[in-house]
This record gives sequence, C-alpha cells and structure tokens, in this order.
Amino acid sequence: MSAPTTATSPAPDTTTPAPPVRARSQSWRRALRRDWQLYSLAILPLLFFLIFRYLPMLGNVIAFRRFQPGGSIFGEYWVGLRYVKMFLNDPTFWNVFNNTLILGGLTLLFCFPLPIILALLLNEVRTRRLKQFVQSVSYLPHFLSIVIVAAMVMQLLSMDGTVNQLVKAGDGEAIPFLQRPEWFRTIYVSSEVWQTVGWGTILYLAALTTIDEDLYEAARIDGANRWRQTWHVTLPGIRPTMVTLLILNIGAFMAVGFEKILLLYNPLTYPTADVISTYLFRMGFASSNFSYAAAIGLFEALIGLILVMSANLIARRTVGTSLW
Amino acid sequence: MFRRSWRHAAAATAALLALTSITACSDDPAESQDLSENRAGAMDGYAVGTQFKATEPVSFPILYNNHPNYPLKNDWLFWSELKSRTNVTLEPVAVPLSDYEQKRSLLIGAGDAPLLLPKTYPSQEEPYVSSGAILPVSDYLNLMPNLSDKIEKWNLGPEIDTRRQDDGKFYLLPGLHEKAWHDYSLAVRTDILEELNLEVPKTWDDLYLVLKAMKAAYPDVYPFSDRFSQPNPGGNLLNILAFSYGLQGAGWNFQHTSWNAQAQKFEYTGATEQYKQMLQYLNKLVSEKLLDPESFTQTDDKARQKLANSQSFVISANAQAVVNDYRPDLSRNPDAKIAKIPLPIGPAGEINPADRLENGLMISSKARDSKNFVAMMQFVDWLFYSDEGQEFAKWGVEGQTFVRDAAGKPTLAPDVDIIGLNPGAPKHLQKDFGFYNGVFAYGGKPELVQAFFSEEEQQFQEVMNARAPRVVPPPHPFTDEEREQVSLWATPLRDHVYQATLQFILGQRDFAQWDAYLAELKSKNMDSYMETVTKAYERFRDKNN
Amino acid sequence: MVTVEAAERPTETPPRPRRRRGIQETRGYRVFQVANGIILTLVVIVTLYPFVNIVARSMSDEAYIIAGQVNLVPRGFTVDTYQLLMSDSLFWTNYRNTVFYTVTATVVSIVMTTCYAYVLSKKQLKGRGALVGIAVFTMFFSGGLIPNYVLVTSLGLKNSVWAIALPNAINVFNLLVMKAFFESLPVELEEAAAVDGLNTYGILLRIVLPLSKAIVATMVLFYAVAFWNSWFAAFLYMDRQELWPVTVYLRNLIAGATGAENVGAIAAADEVQAEATLKAVTIVLTTLPILLVYPFVQRYFVRGIMLGAVKG
Repeated sequence: MSAPTTATSPAPDTTTPAPPVRARSQSWRRALRRDWQLYSLAILPLLFFLIFRYLPMLGNVIAFRRFQPGGSIFGEYWVGLRYVKMFLNDPTFWNVFNNTLILGGLTLLFCFPLPIILALLLNEVRTRRLKQFVQSVSYLPHFLSIVIVAAMVMQLLSMDGTVNQLVKAGDGEAIPFLQRPEWFRTIYVSSEVWQTVGWGTILYLAALTTIDEDLYEAARIDGANRWRQTWHVTLPGIRPTMVTLLILNIGAFMAVGFEKILLLYNPLTYPTADVISTYLFRMGFASSNFSYAAAIGLFEALIGLILVMSANLIARRTVGTSLW
Repeated sequence: MFRRSWRHAAAATAALLALTSITACSDDPAESQDLSENRAGAMDGYAVGTQFKATEPVSFPILYNNHPNYPLKNDWLFWSELKSRTNVTLEPVAVPLSDYEQKRSLLIGAGDAPLLLPKTYPSQEEPYVSSGAILPVSDYLNLMPNLSDKIEKWNLGPEIDTRRQDDGKFYLLPGLHEKAWHDYSLAVRTDILEELNLEVPKTWDDLYLVLKAMKAAYPDVYPFSDRFSQPNPGGNLLNILAFSYGLQGAGWNFQHTSWNAQAQKFEYTGATEQYKQMLQYLNKLVSEKLLDPESFTQTDDKARQKLANSQSFVISANAQAVVNDYRPDLSRNPDAKIAKIPLPIGPAGEINPADRLENGLMISSKARDSKNFVAMMQFVDWLFYSDEGQEFAKWGVEGQTFVRDAAGKPTLAPDVDIIGLNPGAPKHLQKDFGFYNGVFAYGGKPELVQAFFSEEEQQFQEVMNARAPRVVPPPHPFTDEEREQVSLWATPLRDHVYQATLQFILGQRDFAQWDAYLAELKSKNMDSYMETVTKAYERFRDKNN
Repeated sequence: MVTVEAAERPTETPPRPRRRRGIQETRGYRVFQVANGIILTLVVIVTLYPFVNIVARSMSDEAYIIAGQVNLVPRGFTVDTYQLLMSDSLFWTNYRNTVFYTVTATVVSIVMTTCYAYVLSKKQLKGRGALVGIAVFTMFFSGGLIPNYVLVTSLGLKNSVWAIALPNAINVFNLLVMKAFFESLPVELEEAAAVDGLNTYGILLRIVLPLSKAIVATMVLFYAVAFWNSWFAAFLYMDRQELWPVTVYLRNLIAGATGAENVGAIAAADEVQAEATLKAVTIVLTTLPILLVYPFVQRYFVRGIMLGAVKG
C-alpha cells in the first residue's frame, strides 16, 4: 500500500497545463483505487463528524440573528454584526480577554513542560514497583473533583491556613491571598500544575516505550553519558508526541479552566481572575442572551483556529513534525 | 446502527431547517378565549370548594425537580391518591435538582418542554416571554377560581402586578403566601450572651455593642465570622442588611434598583446613601476586628469550622442551618447554645422583608392546543391553590399519613416522620409517600406553611409577622429590546458594585472615594440603566393606570 | 497474529537487562539518582496527602471534620455513611449504568478513533490534509447546546446509551495523539506484511495494533476515565432517574446543596445538606474503580518494547 509514490502519481504539470480538473479527478480515481480500503476506514468517523459536529454548527447562525429562548433555534431575524460590535465595544470584554490570554499563557508555560520532565525522571527510576507506585500516585489529583480541589486550595490559603502559618513563622504578616488580585494567577497556575502534571505524563511514558533500545546501545558505544543519551535519543524519540501536544495546547489556550476559576475567584480578584468563560457565564446567568454568547464563542474559536494553524506551520517549518 | 443514524440525520437536518421557518406564535386575543375545542375532561361547574375530578382519565407531562433527599418513586401514595381523586396521571420528566434550571431552559429553548414547568422562581419566566413559548396565564384566570379567590382574599394584587410583563399579562403562576415568611437572619451563641450578661441584640446597633463586648472578653477571636459567601460574597449578610436599610436587596438577592416610596422613583441600589451607610457599618465592624474579613470569601465549611471551635460566636443562619449544622457542630461543647435571633432592626424600622410570592409554575404555550387544556388549568388550580389541594400535597391522606385532632387540626400519623417530628417512626412523609414535596407543596395559609415548624421557629415567625410588610415596588416590565440591552449593562454594573462593596467594607478603599465610585458606575451605564427602568415604569403606569 | 507473535517473543526481553546492568555508572549519575528519588518522593507526598485526607474524612465523624481535626487518620471512626449510601438501591442502579455506559462508549470510541487515526497517519494518502482539517476544525467550532439537543432528540437517541456514546465518539485530542503514535511506528513491518499479501485491514489488525498496545491502553484509560466521570450528556438526555449514571446521582447530592442555597428564599422542604462525610465517601466510591483498573492497564505501558522486532 505504501509502495508506489511520487514516481507514478501526478506529473501532468510538466506536460500540458490545460486540463487540471481532469488530471485531478484522474489522480483521485487512482488514489481511490489504490487506497480504497484505507478510505473505507474513514467512513464511519467522517459520518460522526458530519452528523454530530458539523450539523449542530448551523446553530451558530444565532450570532448574527436575534435569538429568543423558546423561539426558533435559529433565531428570529437578522441583526448583522450587532452582537460582534457589542462585545468589541465592551470594555469588560477586553479586560477578560487579556486575563484569558495571560492565564492561558502561564498555564501553557508551566503545564506543558513539567509533565515531560516528570516523565523523564520516572523513566530513570530503575525499581519497577517504585516507578509504578509513583506513577499511580501522581495520577490521583486528576480524579479529584474540582470542587474538592478548590476547597483544599482555600483551606491552604486561608488566614490561618498552612501557607500563612509558614509566612508567620518566617516573621511575615498573614496575607489574605484569595482577596488579592496580584496573587490569583500564581494560585491558579500552581493548583493547575498540581492537578495535571501527573496525568500529563501518561502520553509521554507511552511514547517512551516506543524508543528503540538499539539507539541507546549505539549512543553508549559512541561514549554518550546518560544526560547526552537523554538529549540525543530520548527527547528526539518523543518529539512527535511533544509537538502534537504543544500544538494542541496552544490551540486550547483560550479555554482556561472555567469551573476552577468560578470556584476560586471573587469580586475582589475579578481584575486578574475573570476570563471570557466566567464572564459569559455571569452574562448568561443574568440574561440568557444566547446570541451574544454565540458571537463571543465564534470569536474565541477563530482565535483558537488561527493559533493552532500558525503553531502547526511553525512546527512543520522548524522541526518537521506537525499535525497535518 | 450507523446506517439508521444516517437516515435519522437526514430527517434531523430537515427538522432543524424546518424550525427556522416557524415564527413566534401569533397571538389573536379573540381566539384565546374560544375554548370549546379544549374542554375534554373538564368539569362544568368547577368553583371554589369543588373537588376537581376530570370527567375522563387524563395525563399531563410535568418537569420534575428530583430531590436527592427524597428521590422520585413511582409507587408513592401521592401519585395513586392523586389519580383516584382527580382522575389525573402526571408523567414526570425527572431532572436532578442540582441543574434543574439549566435543563428547563434547554428544554424550552429546544421546544421540547413538558406542559407543566414547576419550581420556577419569580422573574425566571421573563426570558421566555417574548418568544411566545410560555402561556400568558393571566388570560385564563377565569378557569382558576381558587387562584383568583386567594389573590383577592389575601390582597395579593400589588405582588401579582410585579409579575406583569410589558403586555400587561403575567406568565407565572406563583406560589402564594397569606403571610410573608422570612427565614434568614443571624444565629448567636446564647451561652456567651448569658456569660457576658448581654441581651439578645434587637437592632444592628445592639449587635455592634454585643460584638464589642464579646471581643473585649475574647480578644483573640473575631466574634462574627460569616458564611453563605459563595459564589456571591456576603450573600445573606448584605441582603438582610440591605432590607434593614430599606433597600430592595443585595448579596445573593442582588437588586439593581430600589423603590424610593417618598420620592416615588427608582434608584440604583448600589449608589444610594443607605447603601453607603450599610457599608460604613460593616466597615466599622471589620476595622474594629469584630467581623472576620474572611467572611466574604471563605467557604461555608470554613465558617462552620470557626463556629464549632469557638473562634466565632455569630453567623448567618436559617432555621435548618441552626438545627442541621450549628447544633451538631457544637455538640462536643456541652455548654454551647446557639439560636436564630429575630432579624435585627435597621434604619428602615420594623419590617418583615419577605416576599409573599413563591416559586410556582409556568405552562408551555402548546398546552393551549391540547383538548384537555381546560381540565389541566382546573387541575392546576385545585392542586396548587385550593385549600384541599394544598393540604393534600403537604399532609397527605387522612388516616394514613395524618390524623385530625378534635378541633380538626391535622397532626402526623404516629408511624410517619418528617423533620424529626416523630423520631423513630418507620415511615417518612417525603421519602415513602411523596408528600411535602417541594414540587407540589408550598405557600398557603400560615397554619399550613408553619405546620412542621419547631416551637422555636414558630416564635421567630410570631415576632416577624408582627412587623409591617415591605412596600412592594411598582412594576416596570421591559420590552424585549429593553431587556436585552439592560441585561448587557447589568453584569458589569453588578460586578463593579460587588467589587467596590468588598473594597469599602474591608478598608481597601476609603469612603472619601465614594464619589469616584459613583462616577465609575456612571461610566458603566448606570444612568442609562436607570433611564430605561424609569421609562418602563412610567409606560406601564400610564398604560395600566 | 502468528507472524508477529513469533517475531515478538524472542526479542522482547533481551535488550532490557543489557541496558539495566551492563553499564558502569558515573558518580554524577548516582547523585542524579538520589536527587531523583527525593524529588519523586516529594511528588508522592504532595499528591498523596489530600487523597489520604479524603479517605480519612470519609470514615470520620462529621463533628471532627467540621472542627478541622481530621488529617491523616479517621477520627471518631464510622462507616455509617458508606452504609447509608450503599443501602440506596438507586445508587447501585446508577452505578451499574455508569459501568455499562463507560464500557459501551469506550468501545465505540476506541474503534472509531483507531480507524480514523490510522487513516490519518498515512502520509502519502491523498486528501489526508482535508481529513485532518475536518477533525481539527471541530476542536474549535461547535454547535450550541440547543442544536445538539435537538439533533440527539430527533435522531431518537434520548434515554439510550447511544445518546452518551455516539455524540462523543471521537475526541480530537486523543485522535491526534494516536495519529502521532502511529506515525512514529516503523514502516518496514507494514511494508513487509503488504508484500506478504495482507490487505489494509489485516495490517491494521495483525501488525499495527499489536505494536500499539501502549497507546491503545492509554486511550482506553483516557476515554474510560472521561466517560466514567462525565455527567452532562446523561443529565441532558436521560429523563428517568433509573437511567442516570452515578455521577448525576452524586452531583445532585453534592452540588444540589449549594445550588439551592443560593436562591435565597426557598421552601423549607427543599433544604439539602451535603455533609462533609458524604462528599468524601462519594469521591472515594467513584474514584476507587478507576484506581483498581489502572494497574492492569499500566502493564501495557511497560511492555511496549517490541520495536526491536523490526530491526531484528
């Protein structure tokens, strides 16, 4: 199936520039004949995407139409860019937009590399039972409900909580962390690290299993120490996974943890903590203005798509691995 | 499976597209009263005092708010007795209580709502008015004699008017209380009061003195550490304080506008002089270390923990919290005694701030087309608004779940328990019979509402009932466009009020900056907001005299 | 199957001992090992503490929890709450539903994701870019809640397991991760199999999947955990409580309390108190099964070293 490649395929460009349509359909026919079994595997998934993903997208039309709850699900009448203009002119929107970028950026900065490091550390553990134990334990936070995580964070950071006890022991004045906007980002990102890093190692550990032992052998013969082996064999070995995850994380950048912020923030910390999703939640809760939410949702999606496409392009140009 | 899905999907696409062409219901007033096609099962001479019984078996789908403490059971006596008394079968669509509102909104939005939509709180009906998805029930009051009778007898006209929309109709069938029932207040460690020779504080100023005395005796504690702060900071405290200062509400009952009865106009609550005064009061408590600054951000558990460990003596409370939380929490301290005190009195004088309207029902517009429509309205009237229906929903069946004493007053059957009134009884009124169910049993006469209250709570209610009811603000219903515009201003405004409220209380912002704060509110469209409210108020007043 | 197994067995173990014992360690590496041990121990302590705390809470008397006195060991030991929860027949019905939904949905997801990821991993396939694009686009653009609901309802999926399994059959994140894994597999084995006359389906089943145990196990874990913990789809599409998964049951129990209290004026009949113990017990009971299953899945991570089969 993978045997015939460039030699037999397109070629027509050089001979005659005239019928590109026919040439394309011909090569499609050839591709179908050759790879029909592969294409057949894609049919069910494509149906899935069409029915359950693309069909409901029609509903996004309400970003440009007036939607009344209980009326037509596609809205009542056209309003053009009214809702888009509305949020572009809303100063609060830009504030939460910035917060989203900053929190998303910080999360990416910490939550992307740390699982790699932990996975590499785990990979160096030689007692199998110990390794398994550490692994299993590090996944636990992933299973805790966010409500519990938030409650623990608040307990730790309260005026008489552990952190403030340490601060006081160090001759400091107790700080009401959760009431201070300047502390919110630190609190959010550290709790995020705590919760996700262990679980994040799974993919890397799976990828590490695919690295060919012979490569290590060869590196050792070349006199490479452990550090160099890691650098020259391990990291390149998990690079496709790393790049894939990096691109995906960049794309998911705008979707910072809604539920956790909702549980941890309060009006005093809105200046740094309020993000698009929480703002929309408060908007929606009071007004059930679905059209406005849809308009912002489309804007968010557009940014996500642009980010992921640029990241993909850069990755393909620089390291040669990419999503597509 | 997948092949079938595909065919279904084609059908679904068609259905989705077809929906676009359906416009909001055209309302022809002449048509709305011609009910000759909709009388199947209805009674002819249905009136106050009549036991409703459908002339043929009928069934109505109902959205059901499934309470985790008494999960829905199909063999409840409630269902079977209802069937035999009224010939009506209810078909519940069970929704977990935790996310009931979201599902209701989704079902209405998707056009898939059951006919009866209970547990709808006043103002929750408003978003659905303009699309025509919800029935304007005020058009059909003639089918509901018990409801009309109660509104008149209990003088609920002004309250009902607040539910009227821009078209002069109302869309919610609210629960009705003859007497206002106020629950939330503060709980105080009475043993500490006794120990320090203090009286139970009657006013907010008394409370300040009491807290001061407590602080003097226990310098290491914050005598007042509050709960109910998530997600809205100071949820209860700000609200009851706002009531006491004559405002419409704050905290978890945030109200943008308050009615100034003297000036006969609406004011922006967060910008009033009274609001400033109540913040100054709280700021005084915080700066003198009487009120724990964490009160506004901590979790309920944390606040309870402080109370349990005698790190605080005063906390927000309702009747249940005292019995279910505070007393068990304090059980390891044999001396500790705690009680809910009557709502402290503020500048607004002795008022009972509770609203006499409760949550109630919306009805889907499509019910109007059912041939059983009239029967359904009569049934709703009987079950939710007749004395017999209300007693049935609350107490159950005489001889099985309750008995009457010589004076005709109902008491629980000895083998039935509710809220620990018959401890050790083998059966539970809610869990095993389906009565006293939040979906069906609410409102009514004070005897009924307070039937299961403890003696302590009845005394509390006695004090509160002696106080004057609050002035009901006049209606100011928005048009659809106004509502959309106002709702977009509302969130940033509310956020800013919350934020400044906490900053002022905690001393992070000086009261010298109050005018700057007002200017900030203006820059967030406060004036436009109030203009719209005033316009709506005047329009409604002129139209409906 | 036969060809691979034969190729796999002899090569599976030899490389490992060579690597583990064969080399002499530098001092730096030994220092590293010690530091590594310390770091990992810290990780373990930091992550484990809250969990131990929850188990301790779940077996403690409510009063001690509220007083903030439960840390590592239960105080006022009691298993009443476990008994209370487990004596509720609805809890067990819902628990069974969760297992059934999770298994069904995971199977559907794995089949769909594997098929599509395999197709996407073929670099020379015409139209591959478009196929990836179709998937990636949906990560960002989605329909609103209401259109989705209307769709599932008009497909007649409501109140069935398909309402949970089908609309979430492919997670694009998982899809792309799996695709990346397939791409990293050596092509030589597949080419050899093609020469031997295996068709695409045969290659996928007999060559690729046996080489991909690690990623399939990971995906099973990812999907299963996601479906196990999910409540929203069930909440939307299940109209009867007998059909709810245990997550909806628990959410109602825990979140119901805070949700109701916020309304302010609420009927006395409807006050819910989620006790601290109850919260802890529910967390323990829902998390436990996943933790018990995990070690079995994990086995596959460790023995994925059959790539030597290609070279050897």
